[in-house]
Amino acid sequence: MKSIKHLLGHWLSCKDASRVVSQAQERSLSAFERWRLRMHLAVCDKCTRFERQLQFMREALRRYRS
Amino acid sequence: MDNATFTAELDAHRRYLLRVAHLQLRDADLAEDVVQETLVAALSAQAGFTGKSSVKTWLTGILKHKIVDAIRQKQRQPIIQASFDDETDLDDFDPLFKDNGGWAAPPADWGDPENALSRQQFFDIMELCLEKLPPNTARVFMMREVMELESDEICKELTITANNLWVILYRARMALRQCLEQNWFAGQGRG
Repeated sequence: MKSIKHLLGHWLSCKDASRVVSQAQERSLSAFERWRLRMHLAVCDKCTRFERQLQFMREALRRYRS
Repeated sequence: MDNATFTAELDAHRRYLLRVAHLQLRDADLAEDVVQETLVAALSAQAGFTGKSSVKTWLTGILKHKIVDAIRQKQRQPIIQASFDDETDLDDFDPLFKDNGGWAAPPADWGDPENALSRQQFFDIMELCLEKLPPNTARVFMMREVMELESDEICKELTITANNLWVILYRARMALRQCLEQNWFAGQGRG
């Protein structure tokens, strides 16, 4: 039980995950942050979609400026 | 490239440069001045254009320096600083999310978004979406994503913390994402 609670304590909400996905475009995430984000994205289609959309926006802005 | 061709090429990017400058300076006259200086600098540095990048990329690089200079000048006026506080405060209340941190309005399916990249109309919508961002948010986002300034340069030029920067960029991305979804991916533009 203790270990489940411990894991849930590290569980990211979609709100938190979306912030981390955005910050990943500015700085390198720590190993722990990357692990936490991967755990979240593995089970969350919405945030996976969100991450792809941010990557697409970056590509669109790259095209825009070049 | 002969002179006439080169001048015509510069002129073709004028509208783009003005939009980009205006998004960061929010001052039509100042944007006009900065673009004028950029084009003059480009003309006199024509020999320096090696053709390794596109003319547009090269002009964007010149514009970047002119905009940073203009912001430095403006920064001396204290007005600009005040409105930053409103735009950097990451309130716990965020209408995009439910109380439990789940999406209130989850991202919609964008299909194959890459198709949009070949449509000029998509980029027009993107410009409109950028115009709708709050001034400082647009400025920071453009500095990062179009001028390609490094995060620490932006923090230094605007005297904001890294955390402020992340919050502003996050807000900008959330708003731009939502605007593109509503005005392009959900509409007939996608077809």
